[in-house]
Amino acid sequence: MVRLLGSWFIAPIDASLLKPIPFLAYVRFMWILLRLEQVRIGHWLTAMKSMTGANIGASIRSDSEVLQESAFMISVWRMISFANVFILSKFDTERQTVDDNFKLAKEIRCLSILCCFPIFIAKRRIFILCCFHFIQSIAAIARKRPIYYKSVLSALLDFAPSFEVAKARHTVSIQYSLRTAFLGFLRCTHPVIAESRERLIRELRAMNAGDAADQVIRQMDKIMKNNERASRDLQLIKDDQLSNQLHVSGDVTKKRLAPVDNEDLNNSSDTTSKRLRYGLHNNIPATVDFNDARQDHVNGISPKLPVSDGDLTPEEQIIAMIGALIAEGERGLESLEILISNIHPDLLADIVITNMKHLPNNPPPLTRYSNLSLNRPSDSSSDPSQVVASNGFPTIQALEVSAQVHASSSNTTSLPFLDMSTSSNPSTDSKRDPRRDPRRLDPRRMVVPVDAPPSSVVEDTANPVQYLAAQSDNDASSLSNPPVLPPLPSISESTSDLVMPSADTDLNLSESPLISEGNQSIPKFEVQDVEDNEFTPGRETSNGLHHLSSPISKVEDSVVQASIDVAVLDEAYSPSSSEADQLSPDRSTFEASEIASTEFPVLPLYIGLAEEHQRNTRRLALERIINSYQNSHRTDLKQTQIALVARLFAQTDVNDVIGMVQQRIVSDYEQQKGHELVMYILYHLHSLVISDPASSAAVVYEKFLLGVAKSLLGDLPASDKSFSRLLGEVPCIPDSVLGLLGDICTRSQSGSDGRDGDRVTQGLGAVWSLILGRPGCRKACLDIALKCTIHPKDDVRAKAIRLVSNKLYAISYLSENIEQFATDMFLSAIDQRFSDSVVSQSADSEKRVGGQVESAETSISGSQASDPEISQNDNTKGIQNASLDDTSIPSLQAYSLMSLFFALCTKKPTLLQLVFDSYGLAQKAVKQAVHRHISVLMRAMGSSFSQLLGIISNPPHGSEDLLTQVLHALCEGITPPPDLVATVKGLYETRLKDATILIPIISAFSKDEVLPIFPRLVQLPLNKFQMALAHILQLGLNSDLVVKYLEDYMEMGIQSSKGSAHTGPALTPAEVLVAIHDISPEKDGLPLKKSSMHMACIPGALVTVITDACSACFEQRTVFTQQVLTKALNQMVDRTPLPLLYMRTVIQAIDAFPTLVDFVMEILSKLVNRQIWRMPKLWVGFLKCISQTQPHSFRVLLQLPPPQLESALNKYPNLRGPLTAFVNQSSVQTSLPRSTLVLLGLAPPEEHMQHPHVTSSLHASDPSSSVRGATFT
Amino acid sequence: MKLRYAMVCSSNQNRSMEAHALLKREGLDVASYGTGQHVKLPGPSLREPNVYEFGTPYKHMLDDLRRKDPELYRRNGILPMLKRNVSVKTAPQRWQENAADGTFDVVLTFEEKVFDMVIEDLHNRNHVLLKPVLVINLEVKDNHEEAAIGGRLALQLCQEFETIENWEDCVDDVIINFERQNNRKLLYSISYY
Repeated sequence: MVRLLGSWFIAPIDASLLKPIPFLAYVRFMWILLRLEQVRIGHWLTAMKSMTGANIGASIRSDSEVLQESAFMISVWRMISFANVFILSKFDTERQTVDDNFKLAKEIRCLSILCCFPIFIAKRRIFILCCFHFIQSIAAIARKRPIYYKSVLSALLDFAPSFEVAKARHTVSIQYSLRTAFLGFLRCTHPVIAESRERLIRELRAMNAGDAADQVIRQMDKIMKNNERASRDLQLIKDDQLSNQLHVSGDVTKKRLAPVDNEDLNNSSDTTSKRLRYGLHNNIPATVDFNDARQDHVNGISPKLPVSDGDLTPEEQIIAMIGALIAEGERGLESLEILISNIHPDLLADIVITNMKHLPNNPPPLTRYSNLSLNRPSDSSSDPSQVVASNGFPTIQALEVSAQVHASSSNTTSLPFLDMSTSSNPSTDSKRDPRRDPRRLDPRRMVVPVDAPPSSVVEDTANPVQYLAAQSDNDASSLSNPPVLPPLPSISESTSDLVMPSADTDLNLSESPLISEGNQSIPKFEVQDVEDNEFTPGRETSNGLHHLSSPISKVEDSVVQASIDVAVLDEAYSPSSSEADQLSPDRSTFEASEIASTEFPVLPLYIGLAEEHQRNTRRLALERIINSYQNSHRTDLKQTQIALVARLFAQTDVNDVIGMVQQRIVSDYEQQKGHELVMYILYHLHSLVISDPASSAAVVYEKFLLGVAKSLLGDLPASDKSFSRLLGEVPCIPDSVLGLLGDICTRSQSGSDGRDGDRVTQGLGAVWSLILGRPGCRKACLDIALKCTIHPKDDVRAKAIRLVSNKLYAISYLSENIEQFATDMFLSAIDQRFSDSVVSQSADSEKRVGGQVESAETSISGSQASDPEISQNDNTKGIQNASLDDTSIPSLQAYSLMSLFFALCTKKPTLLQLVFDSYGLAQKAVKQAVHRHISVLMRAMGSSFSQLLGIISNPPHGSEDLLTQVLHALCEGITPPPDLVATVKGLYETRLKDATILIPIISAFSKDEVLPIFPRLVQLPLNKFQMALAHILQLGLNSDLVVKYLEDYMEMGIQSSKGSAHTGPALTPAEVLVAIHDISPEKDGLPLKKSSMHMACIPGALVTVITDACSACFEQRTVFTQQVLTKALNQMVDRTPLPLLYMRTVIQAIDAFPTLVDFVMEILSKLVNRQIWRMPKLWVGFLKCISQTQPHSFRVLLQLPPPQLESALNKYPNLRGPLTAFVNQSSVQTSLPRSTLVLLGLAPPEEHMQHPHVTSSLHASDPSSSVRGATFT
Repeated sequence: MKLRYAMVCSSNQNRSMEAHALLKREGLDVASYGTGQHVKLPGPSLREPNVYEFGTPYKHMLDDLRRKDPELYRRNGILPMLKRNVSVKTAPQRWQENAADGTFDVVLTFEEKVFDMVIEDLHNRNHVLLKPVLVINLEVKDNHEEAAIGGRLALQLCQEFETIENWEDCVDDVIINFERQNNRKLLYSISYY
């Protein structure tokens, strides 16, 4: 987390942010985040550095416009100042880490920036806020850390005049703030501050705050006096107790300064060794002078300091005070507690050290210490000052004793960091040994078994552990050096008491990494008013140490490791180590170090914040950003805001804010800022996922993306491209989002709000762009698209297929997959496997078969943009299908499954081979589906069919129907291209004798070509012949004939094409008729056709297909018109022999066109002339024709020779009467031969008197024949 | 922008309550506090003030003073003031003990001493949210007439802040304008929650 944050902290400071954007907002939230996320200050400072240093200079220079615009400068400075304010605020609030922070601050020359800070205050209003905090903060620092007082004061004093520049600003408030700060200084009793009291008062007077200053001074004087009084009391008590007489005199300031002066008296070797150490530790040269200042401070209270003169050091003074208080007993205890808890830790350390020389020579009673040792473990984690407070003055001595032990033990192990002056005290140590013993032994007995002596001591030495750990970067090499260790046993031999301390030291070193690892950021002995939650782990760690028992040998092994760890640790917390450095040369003994480590522990580089606080604050921050900039239209603001929101969001508990952010995003999407925001957020989340795969960020990411996607779908119109863009640009697409996409595409998630179709388009559009733009999820998206292509809903399918075939199939890396899928689907359709897989998918479609079929049909026409006429036919067809429940469903399913494949065939005709190959295997329903597809396909293919010729020329077995279908579709409405014609002809001649395949191309045939195959055509089933006829005559395919044919055959509509280019029919209708009549069963080998449709009316004649053919012709009255018939009949009447069906045709003609009667009479006359009665088959027809055309036929009848007339009248007796009447009335009677008249009874018969009987007998049979004639027509 | 205001005087009786009542009537989000150790009300003489603990209900004070000397306290306006206070909230609250009341955006004090105390108190709190709070001092004398004027000024100032989006940005302008318009001197500072 920290690492990540650190990286982004620096990341935002790129070129884009270095524009004059509102740094205020940016900084403010960085600052909040800094606290929230417990980011390391180092990161922050790095960011600051990059802001302050060359980066800014460079970017300014590179952009002169920006330079002119001072806003840039101001923004930068605003940022810097905020950073400083922040750091300073930490000084104020986080007392434990002040020094360390301050060093870091120095690292970026914080103070120098602070000092120039006022210059810029004048320039921008916001700086006044910084001023306040600046003043407050550094004033607080100065009070808390007097050593910085000088710097701070000079900064403040510099500051004072410079704010005059800030005209039009509310300087009064700043001045007031300064005033407060100065007054605060005045209240402070610290000598360094007190030193500058005069100066402060002068300043305050200048600010017209002299009164307040005086008041404060009066207060302080009062306090001083009280102090002195207390000291005096103390002195009296001490006189009795202590051998060393103390004088209490002079003011505190002077006393306090005395040790500083004494520093020079310090022994010189000590000083040099210190210097050397600093030389080793020169990584922070900038800190040197502060270190020096610190040295002054600390050295001044060093125990080695010879307190030769009579002046009391402040420590002694306070010790005296404490003594006085203790002397007061219970009453004084409370005030003592308050006093000690208020004493600065440094000072406390000094006090203890100073007091050491007052240690009595005789050990106090043993019980006392065992008491103490009983207390120790439990109190070990509490504030030392409290320990002191509760146990009273002697406790201090006790603590101090233990400190001494450590110092001495360190000495005896001759570790390099030991100071000579300290090690010159072994005698004192040994003298005190007896007192140490009980303390050492007691806790061990209590906590740990005896056989693990070293570890038991840990509880006492928990603090030194840290201390040493911190310290050991100086000494790491020597400590980790095995040769250093051997001396231990020898020492332990010499002085048994010292064994344990020395072991302690080793153990401490080995344990130190444990401790530091356990609570890196946590001071072990945290003053208790710091957060408890930080405190607890520390205690745990020390508890853990209590139970840790490791033999010394093991400790030795781990020493190397420990030292390494320590070194690492020191790197991380270099400020702390440097802090320790300052202390170490002083030999300030254990107590000092303990207190030091209390105050300056292993650094808490982060500011702890309770989880709840963090969350809450994050949310607040987020809310505020979102709300406050909602209405802002400044793009630069937005830019910053987005970046911030994204980061905050990524680290916030999403549930709290997801709704809010989403709403904001969607509302802002139009300006594309919402999108940008989403991107920022998602990318941040994603980076979290990447950096830590185990984190919950993945879940959040998915949830958020899904939420945004859904709200985009829900709130924006389908035509909006945002959704697609969102998916296209997000860092990664989880499965759930793909699922959502799939749902959209298949329309399964949206309601029936009428926008479904659009949504599908939107979804598919997104899929398309994802496939193109995101290779990562190409496969998944392709799957979605492909799944849609077999979707039962037709608009989904149609759209998906259009997408896949038109757009995706062209993409090389996809085509193979698509093809494979399409082929699989096609084959599964053929194999009927789909019934398992698809039926389940389309369960709903089964439930409403009829409607489904309807829509299926219309959708086909819709998607193919056919004209309404055909789609009407589709409807009728659909109804038909619907009636065929069981077959239509598979058909539809098959149709769905195959759609894609056929769509691909358009692009790649060679795929059709598979269709042809597998066609034969398919069921009828599937074939229907294939037919529907293929005709559509062929039309779509247009002129590019040439690749088909290969297939056509060699059709697989069983695919004849399909082939015909293909040919029909290809030739429909156009003149068949020559190569196709040639191919088909070749096929017809070589392999396939079925003339059916010729039908589509027959219109391209010449008359000479048609006539030879005409018998074959006639031989075809009637409907096929009709088709052929239409082609031959090049009828428009919209004629009833063709449509009917197609309906019957293909069970689907075919788009008609009118007005196609005709080169002229191969045959005229008349020629067709003639050709039909020319067919002779004998010559052409036509088989008899068992037709259930017609019974031949020609007695004895073969009921042949020819009859049907003729009938078919006559059905086409628009084609086979009166004129056509006239022409044909005229042609044929002269033929010899007359075509067999001639009379039948004549009768049909007269039936169809009664106006032809005159023409027919001419024909009949001609036939009479040709002695029709000699052709028995025709004679029957002739008579029938006469009979049907009476009375017009009477003239022709009368032309017959009398025997034939008689036979005719015999055959049709009902003719006789009208004929006789006709003859009587007309003038023909005279021209008639007598025999005829006789026959009619108009002339006296000579020898034919029985004839009437004959005719009457004939007459009797007439009704049946007339009935036949009626049926014939 | 909707801000949260705190009116602070020393006893949370007169000035802060006057402003509180007024702002509350205007629909602003407001609370009021005192910074003193105790709630002090004028007594029969300067040396004998009526002293209550914070948290003592106004009603109780009202009854107490009525019992003691209704005439005196009616004359010096204490009783009417307490009646007004009863209608605003239950009891005086102490600023230093208001941590549980949440954060404020603007704190308005009516006395420099109170201003200092508020600032110091805010500094001494644990800064957790780092949410800036603007502390403004509007010097108002502690009598009824001035309090009434001060209340109106406070309202005006707060309404001014209501209209702006980020007080951090233009606090100076607001303050300076206000000073010019009303011929008053303000002090302000910031602190953080």
